[in-house]
Amino acid sequence: MYKGNRSLKILTILLIVAFLFAMIFPFLWVFITSFKTTGEIYSPTGAFNIIPDNPTTKNYVSVLFEKGILNAVKNSFIVSSVTTIYIIFVATLCAYAISRFHFRGKNVLLGLILAVSMFPQMIVTGPVYNLFNELGLTNSFAIVLPYSVITLPTAVWILVTHFNQIPLAIEESAKMDGASPFQILYRIVFPLAAPGVFTTAIIVFIAAWNEFLLTITLNADQAYHTVPVAISFLRTQFEILWGEVTAATTIVTIPTLIIVLLFQKQIVSGLTSGGVKE
Amino acid sequence: MKRKMGVKGFLFILPALILIGIFSLWPVIQSFTYTFFDYRLNDQQKSGLYLSERFNTDLYNETAFYVGMFLEQEIPNITDPKDTSKLKQTIDQLRAISGQYEDQEGVITISDEQKEELLSFYKTASALINDFNDKYELANGENLPLLIDDINNSIIPSNFIGLDGYKKALSDDRVGLALKNTIVFTVVSVFFEFVIGLGLALILNKAIFGQGMIRATSLIPWAIPTAVAALMWGYLYDGSYGIVAKLFEYLGFIENATDLLQSPGWAMTATIIADVWKTTPYMALLLLAGLQNIPKGLYEAASIDGANKIQQFFRVTLPLLKPAILVALLFRTLDAFRVFDLIFVLTSGGPGGATETLSVYAYKLMFGQTNFGYGSVVVMLMFVCVAIIAIIFVRILGTNLMDKN
Repeated sequence: MYKGNRSLKILTILLIVAFLFAMIFPFLWVFITSFKTTGEIYSPTGAFNIIPDNPTTKNYVSVLFEKGILNAVKNSFIVSSVTTIYIIFVATLCAYAISRFHFRGKNVLLGLILAVSMFPQMIVTGPVYNLFNELGLTNSFAIVLPYSVITLPTAVWILVTHFNQIPLAIEESAKMDGASPFQILYRIVFPLAAPGVFTTAIIVFIAAWNEFLLTITLNADQAYHTVPVAISFLRTQFEILWGEVTAATTIVTIPTLIIVLLFQKQIVSGLTSGGVKE
Repeated sequence: MKRKMGVKGFLFILPALILIGIFSLWPVIQSFTYTFFDYRLNDQQKSGLYLSERFNTDLYNETAFYVGMFLEQEIPNITDPKDTSKLKQTIDQLRAISGQYEDQEGVITISDEQKEELLSFYKTASALINDFNDKYELANGENLPLLIDDINNSIIPSNFIGLDGYKKALSDDRVGLALKNTIVFTVVSVFFEFVIGLGLALILNKAIFGQGMIRATSLIPWAIPTAVAALMWGYLYDGSYGIVAKLFEYLGFIENATDLLQSPGWAMTATIIADVWKTTPYMALLLLAGLQNIPKGLYEAASIDGANKIQQFFRVTLPLLKPAILVALLFRTLDAFRVFDLIFVLTSGGPGGATETLSVYAYKLMFGQTNFGYGSVVVMLMFVCVAIIAIIFVRILGTNLMDKN
C-alpha cells in the first residue's frame, strides 16, 4: 500500500510478526511443557528447555484417565449444545417479533435485553443459587437455564440485525398465500437467515463453553464440572503439577482451535454485527 | 409493511420474556432485597429474610422432645416433694405448649401471646434447672440448660437491618480497596487494549497479505475459556519455573522471579498483561469492522486536498470511527469492570487483596462466608457503577448518532 516506502513496510511486517508471536507464544510454551517429564519441569535449567530432553506422554495419560478431564469435556459438550439449541429457538422467535411486528413496549423489551447483557453476572448468582437449592436442581444439567443470562441477549441482538436485512417482499407473498407467522418464520425467514443463525449459534456455543461463575457455584459436584471449572480445580488441587496442567490445557484448547479455524468468518461477523451500525 | 402484533405474536416473545424474568429480573430484585437483611446461610437465626420475628418449629419440636424426656428422667433424682411438683408442673406446661406446634414444619409466624408464653416458659424452666443443679445431682445437669436455651433460640429475631449494610460497605476498607483495584484494572487494561487494538486494526486494514492468518491466530486467545487462559499465565508467571517471570527477572523489571505474583504492584501488572493478551484481538476486530465501513473515496478526496497521512487519520479516520470505538470501549469497559474468572483463577485476589476486585470480594463473601446479605451489598455497588458507566457511554453514543443524522 505504502508505495515505495520500504522501511515502513518492513516495520509493519515486524509489528505483525511480533504480535503473532505474542499471541501464540503462551500456547506454544504450554504445548512444549506438556511433553516434559516432571523432573525436567522442576529443574532450574530444564524448565526453560525449548525442546524436551525425554519427550513423554505421561502427563496426557494421567490427565485423561485419572483426573477426569474427559468427563469435563463431555459435560461441556452437553451443556453448550443444549444451551445453543434452546437459546437459538427462543432467540429466533423473539428476534423475529422485534424485527417484524409492531407492539407496545418494544423499546422497553430492547432496552431490557441490552441491560441484561450489561449487568454483572454476580448479581443473579446468589438468588439463582438459592432457587436451585430449593428446587434441588444444583449439581444437574438444569444449569443450562441460567446460562440464558449470558447468551440470550447477544443471540437476540445478532439475530435482529440479520432478520432486518431480509427483504419483506417474500414474506408478503407467502402471507397472501395464507401462511401463518410461524410458517413464514420456519419455512422462509429461517432458511434465508441461515448464515446469521449459524453465526449466532457459534457465538452462543463459545459463550456457554467458557462460562465459569455459574458452574462453580451451582454445580459444586465434580461429576458436573465443565472444562473451565475442572481446569481451575487442577490448579488448586495439584498446585505444582504443571505437567498435568499444561497437558489438560492443550487438550481443552483443541476443540476451540477447531471451531475457530473452521468458522472464523462467522465468528467475526457475529462479533461485529451486534456492535457496528451498517 | 410491519404488522401489528396480536395475541399470537405475543407467543413469539413469551419464551424469551419468561427466561429473562426468571433468571435476570427476578434475581436482580431478589439481590436488592438481600441487601436490607443480615442474611447468612450458615446461621440458623439468619438463614432467611425475616422482616418480623419468626418461630423455628423444627428446632423447637426437636428440643421440646428432648427437654421433656430429660426432665422426666430427673424425677427420681428430686427428693423434696415441693420441687417434684414444680418439675411435674413444668413438664405439663411444656406438653401444653408443644401441642400447638406438633404438626407444624419449618419457619412460621407466631402471635405475641404465643411468644410471651414461650418466653415465660423458657424463663421458669431455666430458673428451675439452675436451682436444681445447685441442690441435686442431676443426670443431665450439663445438657439441660443448653437444651432449654434452644427453646429461646427457636424464636428467630428479625434480621432486617435497613441501610446498615450500605453503611458498613462505605466504611469497609476492603470494599474501598476492591473498588480501587477494579477501577485500576479496568482503566489500564482497556487503555492498552484500545491503543494496541487500534494500531493492529489500522495495520490489518492496510495489509495485503496474511489477513486471514492474523484473524485466525488472534481469535484463539479470545475463544479459549478465561479460566484456561488464567491458568496458562499462572504457569508462565510461576516464580521458580515460569518463563515470563524468568524473563522479567532477566530484563531487570523485578529483582526476583518470585516477586511477579508476590508483590502487590506486579501482581496487578501481571493480571493486566494476561487480560490485554486475551482481549486485544476482540477490540482489534471490532475496530477493524468499523474501519472497513469508511468509504475509500474519502481518503482519496482528503489526499487531493493535500492532507497528509497523519491529518487523514485525525480528520477522517477517527471521527468516522467514533461510533465503533465507543461501542468497543463500552463492551470492554463493562467486561473489565465485572472481571472474575481471570483474577479468581490467577491470583484469587492476592497477594493480600492487591488484585481483589469487587466481583471477587463479593464472591468470597457470598460463597466463601455464605454472607449473602453483605455480599449482595457489594454486588449492588458494582451494579450501580456498571449502570453509571453504561449511561455515560450511551449518552455520548446517542448524541454522536444524532450528530450524524
